[in-house]
Amino acid sequence: MSSQTPTKFDVVVVGAGPAGASAAYLLAKAGYKVLIVERGRGAGTKELFGGKIYAEPLRTVWPDLDKEAPIHRWVTRERISFVKGERVTTVEFKLGRKVAFTTYLTEMAKWMTNKAVESGAILVDEVRVDEIIVENGRVKGIRSGPDTIEADVVVDAEGVNRILLEKLGLAEKIKPDQVALGVKEVINIGKKAMNERLLLDEGEGLAWFMVGDVTAGIPGGGFMYTMKDTIALGLVLHIGKAYEAAKTGELKHTVPMLLEKLRTHPFFSKIWGDADVLEYGAHMTIEGGLRYMPKKLYMPGLVVVGDAAGLLLNTGYTIRGVDYAVYSGKLAAETIIEALESDGPTEENLRKYEERVRESFMFRELVKHRGIEKVMEDPMFFTKLPAMLNILLAKLYEQDYEEPTVLEALLDSVKESDVSLSKFMLKLFSVVSKL
Amino acid sequence: MRIVVGIKWVPNTQAVRFDPKTGTLIRAGVPSIVNPHDFPAIELALRLKDMYGGEVIAVTMAPPSATQGLEHVLGMGVDKGILLTDRKFAGADTLATSYVIAKGIEKISKEIGPVDVAIFGHETIDSSTAHIGAQVASWLGWPYVYYARDAKLVEDGKLRVTRQTEKAVEEYEVNLPAVVATAIKALKPRPVRLSYKLRAKIEKPIIAWNIEDLGLDPRCTGLKGSPTVVANITWMPEVPRKKIVYTPKDPRDAARWILKQLFSDESVAGFLKKALWGEE
Ligand SMILES: Cc1cc2nc3c(=O)[nH]c(=O)nc-3n(C[C@H](O)[C@H](O)[C@H](O)COP(=O)(O)OP(=O)(O)OC[C@H]3O[C@@H](n4cnc5c(N)ncnc54)[C@H](O)[C@@H]3O)c2cc1C
Repeated sequence: MSSQTPTKFDVVVVGAGPAGASAAYLLAKAGYKVLIVERGRGAGTKELFGGKIYAEPLRTVWPDLDKEAPIHRWVTRERISFVKGERVTTVEFKLGRKVAFTTYLTEMAKWMTNKAVESGAILVDEVRVDEIIVENGRVKGIRSGPDTIEADVVVDAEGVNRILLEKLGLAEKIKPDQVALGVKEVINIGKKAMNERLLLDEGEGLAWFMVGDVTAGIPGGGFMYTMKDTIALGLVLHIGKAYEAAKTGELKHTVPMLLEKLRTHPFFSKIWGDADVLEYGAHMTIEGGLRYMPKKLYMPGLVVVGDAAGLLLNTGYTIRGVDYAVYSGKLAAETIIEALESDGPTEENLRKYEERVRESFMFRELVKHRGIEKVMEDPMFFTKLPAMLNILLAKLYEQDYEEPTVLEALLDSVKESDVSLSKFMLKLFSVVSKL
Repeated sequence: MRIVVGIKWVPNTQAVRFDPKTGTLIRAGVPSIVNPHDFPAIELALRLKDMYGGEVIAVTMAPPSATQGLEHVLGMGVDKGILLTDRKFAGADTLATSYVIAKGIEKISKEIGPVDVAIFGHETIDSSTAHIGAQVASWLGWPYVYYARDAKLVEDGKLRVTRQTEKAVEEYEVNLPAVVATAIKALKPRPVRLSYKLRAKIEKPIIAWNIEDLGLDPRCTGLKGSPTVVANITWMPEVPRKKIVYTPKDPRDAARWILKQLFSDESVAGFLKKALWGEE
């Protein structure tokens, strides 16, 4: 390397996702020499998510978010559908306030990373970090192939598949029960058709969660988000359970086939008809937050942010990962700045990052919803309940002459969907208290 | 040794779809890549530099978006990038392209230092002409060897180029400066390195030259300098494919089954017999 090229930075950020980008942006803005290393070609190219981001935590980092970010639509309506075969029961809520927007994470991560680069951070893409270097219990920098770069602090923002943290011994190997597989297609419906068919005004968006046999008995659900002129349609499936079901032969379809079935479902497909599928992809996500959190979110010279830190709330009907990632990046940057301004990135100084995380809304939320993943894995909720609801309504509405009373219909549907009423009431309570 | 390597920033043709109604390519939203057949050329250039020192300069005639492609090869260890870019270069056929590149190489020789070898890939995935190496050699009046798999310097300052044809391995010795074009997949390219990519980001060793910098006559570049006329494009009608799934327990049955399927088609059977046993 020639003499002009530095081999040492104040901070090296691994991963140009939302977490890494926000930390890098704030650190570069504060005048620190920041290097972001990203294995994809450009920021955002390895990203895939559902589609909805909660704005307020992002505004604490980028106050001009609403004006500048690649926002597709503000979510003004939320729908939940319970699906049993061709029968679908839908609840729709019209929001009174705009709190979240839809976008592609590829565009969003690129925007966030550009912000960091404009503030002076250097982005090196197409390069994978192979190792976080530790000497005498302190992180010294990173290694990529034959090259090493020294840093006062390394920010690990590598996302859900935290291979570097595993190598460091800070995180355990991923267990199939801790993660879910997300698959998604982008459907080219066109703005006009979308607005007409979904009754949306310009700039308004719809977020749709589907639960029931769309996942063929695997814990998880379907989602649909309206982008500017395309629709993101996908499924999130519990990996551990899907694997078991595939082994026993219970799961007869491959995951892509399940998504095809959702796309061609007689009810949902009315919206997009036979519009082209522009792209498809898959990505892993976290099932339940707290279980996935590493033992420690820091060590001398290192902080862990975003998905790698297990900071994601998955309530089944909503995933909040991007705003958590950005917010943790912010807390990390603030802590690093303080540490570098005092006696350095020591154990004591970086511990403050974990303390800040624990005092934040993120941790409070994760504690509050603790155990939700167990609920979400309960077939009662993702298969039987949606079935029951549809059977109940079928009993009430699909009659030629005589209708049962609601009580009769309820009792029948409970029986037919194999739900025990007492268990149901008990479980309902446990769900409502965790959601 | 000063080595120039030519690269092209091409749409990833695997991702390009075509509109069956108009017969035109739908390039919108298709990501560009460095032409895959250029990688053996880049690798050969870097190996020569590893052995004899000096520098490798990547050259491309392209719009400014090709900077990304130059950054990619800088990440592999190329030292400098030269972007030959001008609106007046647009719409060029291979003649007008090779002309601009040859003039770029002359300018490098004059201003940066004498070029010893210019290396090109076999062809590009988006036009498949395999003209550029040969045409640049003609413009420059340099010797030209193609289908190259390897090259090294020998005693009296000559370059010995190994080329492989269907039936033989040939070695040519040429005087320098010379032009070499590599064979498809001749050499496995090295990965991008952090330190090189970082150097590229910080030192920004990419120079852009336009038509004035090169001192060229606009009548000889771009569309105006391109005598090639595409008279017509016809598309191969899509062949409907039938899908048959056969899942025997014993793989030997599968092998027998697939042979039977292949030989049941007359034209395939004819081809196989000829290829396998030389039968007509
Ligand atoms: C199907 C699905 C749907 C989702 N839906 C939503 C949603 O609607 N709303 C929401 O808020 N969240 C959603 N999420 C979660 C959200 O995508 C994540 O929480 C968020 O992206 C986490 O950000 P991050 O920066 O921590 O990690 P990531 O976004 O994963 O970024 C990590 C980056 O690091 C890079 N990297 C990794 N390892 C290395 C290495 N060794 N060297 C160099 N680079 C490396 C990767 O290439 C990547 O660019 C969803 C996730 C999935 C899978």
